[in-house]
Amino acid sequence: MDLSVTLGRLQLKNPIMVASGTFGYAREMEGIVDVSRLGAVLPKTITAEPRVGNAPWRTVETSAGLLNAIGLDNDGVDAFLEHHLPYLKEVGTSIVVSVAGRTEDDFVKLAERVGSQDGVAAVELNLSCPNVSGGIDFGTNAESCRKVVAATRDRTDVPILAKLTPNVTRIADIAQGAADGGADAVCLINTVLGIAIDWRRRKPMLGNGMGGLSGPAIKPIALRCVYQVATAVDIPIIGIGGIADIDDVMEFLVAGASAVQIGTANYYDPTVSTRLVDQLPAALGEIDSDSVSAFIGTLNR
Amino acid sequence: MMAKLHADHYADSMHQIDTPLKRNDQIGEGTFLIRVAAEPLARTLVPGQFVMIRLSGTNAPLIGRALAVYDVISDESGVPKWIDLVYLKKGTFTTALAESPLDTHVTLWGPLGNGFANRACDRLIMVAGGIGQTPMLLLGREALGTQNFGDEDRANGWSPVVEFIYGARRASLLAGVSDFEQAGFRVTLCTDDGSQGQQRLVPDILCERLEELKDSGESIRVVTCGPEIMMEKVAEACQATGVDCQVSMETPMACGIGICFSCVAQVRQDGPEEWDYKRTCVEGPIFDADQICW
Ligand SMILES: Cc1cc2nc3c(=O)[nH]c(=O)nc-3n(C[C@H](O)[C@H](O)[C@H](O)COP(=O)(O)OP(=O)(O)OC[C@H]3O[C@@H](n4cnc5c(N)ncnc54)[C@H](O)[C@@H]3O)c2cc1C
Ligand SMILES: Cc1cc2nc3c(=O)[nH]c(=O)nc-3n(C[C@H](O)[C@H](O)[C@H](O)COP(=O)(O)O)c2cc1C
Ligand code: FES
Repeated sequence: MDLSVTLGRLQLKNPIMVASGTFGYAREMEGIVDVSRLGAVLPKTITAEPRVGNAPWRTVETSAGLLNAIGLDNDGVDAFLEHHLPYLKEVGTSIVVSVAGRTEDDFVKLAERVGSQDGVAAVELNLSCPNVSGGIDFGTNAESCRKVVAATRDRTDVPILAKLTPNVTRIADIAQGAADGGADAVCLINTVLGIAIDWRRRKPMLGNGMGGLSGPAIKPIALRCVYQVATAVDIPIIGIGGIADIDDVMEFLVAGASAVQIGTANYYDPTVSTRLVDQLPAALGEIDSDSVSAFIGTLNR
Repeated sequence: MMAKLHADHYADSMHQIDTPLKRNDQIGEGTFLIRVAAEPLARTLVPGQFVMIRLSGTNAPLIGRALAVYDVISDESGVPKWIDLVYLKKGTFTTALAESPLDTHVTLWGPLGNGFANRACDRLIMVAGGIGQTPMLLLGREALGTQNFGDEDRANGWSPVVEFIYGARRASLLAGVSDFEQAGFRVTLCTDDGSQGQQRLVPDILCERLEELKDSGESIRVVTCGPEIMMEKVAEACQATGVDCQVSMETPMACGIGICFSCVAQVRQDGPEEWDYKRTCVEGPIFDADQICW
């Protein structure tokens, strides 16, 4: 059984990754899952400067979903490199570092700095965080997406992944921009913009007002995005959104994703990620396949 | 900017289990007690730790809820086997749980968080309001030395006297009082409407006790759990009299294991004006009261 997958210049031992912001900095999970068995780990998005993040409440549950506005709470790149990366390098699987900035220059500098570190397999550009106001939204304009990807690619040697937002009219256009800029893969999707309101208090529930929806509620949207991009754009895809069991994984793979990231499910089922790695061979066996790669994008249209 | 980046209490000895409800009994107005077999958790947990729990096999609700461990039950040979959790029927999860028949499966993971300190003292005063009594039974028993938790070398019997000041809106909401009396705590009850015990607020009773004990020469420790406004008043009373005080924060949680960054509270850093959002699930939920920016 061959579980390995290739996304542009990035090779993974299996397609089960964990999504940025839903796995802490991996140290949190040491006693819970065998992190080394995952295809890759993405620590929480880092920014150039420390950010305290948004005021509580930061999450609120909705039907089969979770709405969040954490606000990229993180200790900044210096602290990341000093305190978190040394640990991450030793966990025994590929580390993909997620970065976010306000300007193209921010992204380039961060990607350059992080990408040159020993033990970083790839950089994921978080072009899509809905909870940070200001700056250009690189994820909603194909040309600015192309430019930021091209600029970071120019200045780094590691693979570049572009994580996109579903909050656009035509996701395939943005993915095409990322492809033209030279991204090794696009990651679909970040959270879906939403709001929860307490009508009695006449106030939004989240401290930040609006937030990003995740969890099983958004799976059909994420799967649709993967489906649309797989049809229209020639670029490897990482599927993200509501993935919680092995059927979900197989649906994303057959729709055209070369790998998947597990997000919110880590919160309500902390051991889910490695369980999916365990279950993958049997699922492939069910359709008489002995390779993940051979199964990817084989949807009958 | 800050001294320490890694949290102190990652879920390193966590177990995730799927287990049927063996009890689900009403023990007060809107208040229920569940019992589940949870041996790996029961063996290692310490007072003040919590578990995350959800109904297995359904996404309604989706996200786990934090519940403090109320009691640990051992089998005939003294091996800790079951845990009891006490919850107030309030919103989505607790309503669904209250309606769940026996043998309904729940998924739970824990033990989580740090637990109360077991610093020795002459008198431990536990102050609880609302549903905040839940972590106190185990703590008081450990303090008196009548039940052991965690490692063999964990201190036990570190306070000869345990007082328990417990208040609720009305008598019917006071749940588990007989458990606390049987455990040998000196119980003082109060209600907002005077339907049981004194018609006063718990922080006022505490202030009076601290005043009475002021010249006793005893070393006193206070722990508190309940509505934030109540805990703040308790913390103030302790600070005014220089008494060691710990609080159990109940900020809303989505994972309980440190990976979502939703459970933050403002925790004081080095300078007096400095604070940072800290994850209460892995830095707490128990904090020294003077660390919290109320
Ligand atoms: C460490 C810890 C220990 C705990 N121990 C116990 C315990 O022993 N027993 C116990 O009963 N409870 C305990 N809790 C509280 C428990 O986790 C649940 O919050 C509580 O049981 C209510 O859950 P629910 O699903 O029934 O209510 P929910 O449906 O979650 O809602 C409860 C109330 O909060 C409001 N609310 C919910 N989400 C938001 C939001 N994002 N913004 C604003 N308002 C919101 C709702 O409107 C509702 O009024 C503990 C919490 C923590 C953190
Ligand atoms: C609480 C929370 C925090 C998140 N933080 C980040 C983040 O820092 N960076 C990022 O790229 N995505 C972040 N995400 C988005 C997830 O990585 C993922 O794209 C999204 O939640 C959809 O997947 P899911 O439904 O499996 O959770 C966050 C999601 C949640 C729920
Ligand atoms: S509840 Fe998720 S980090 Fe604390």
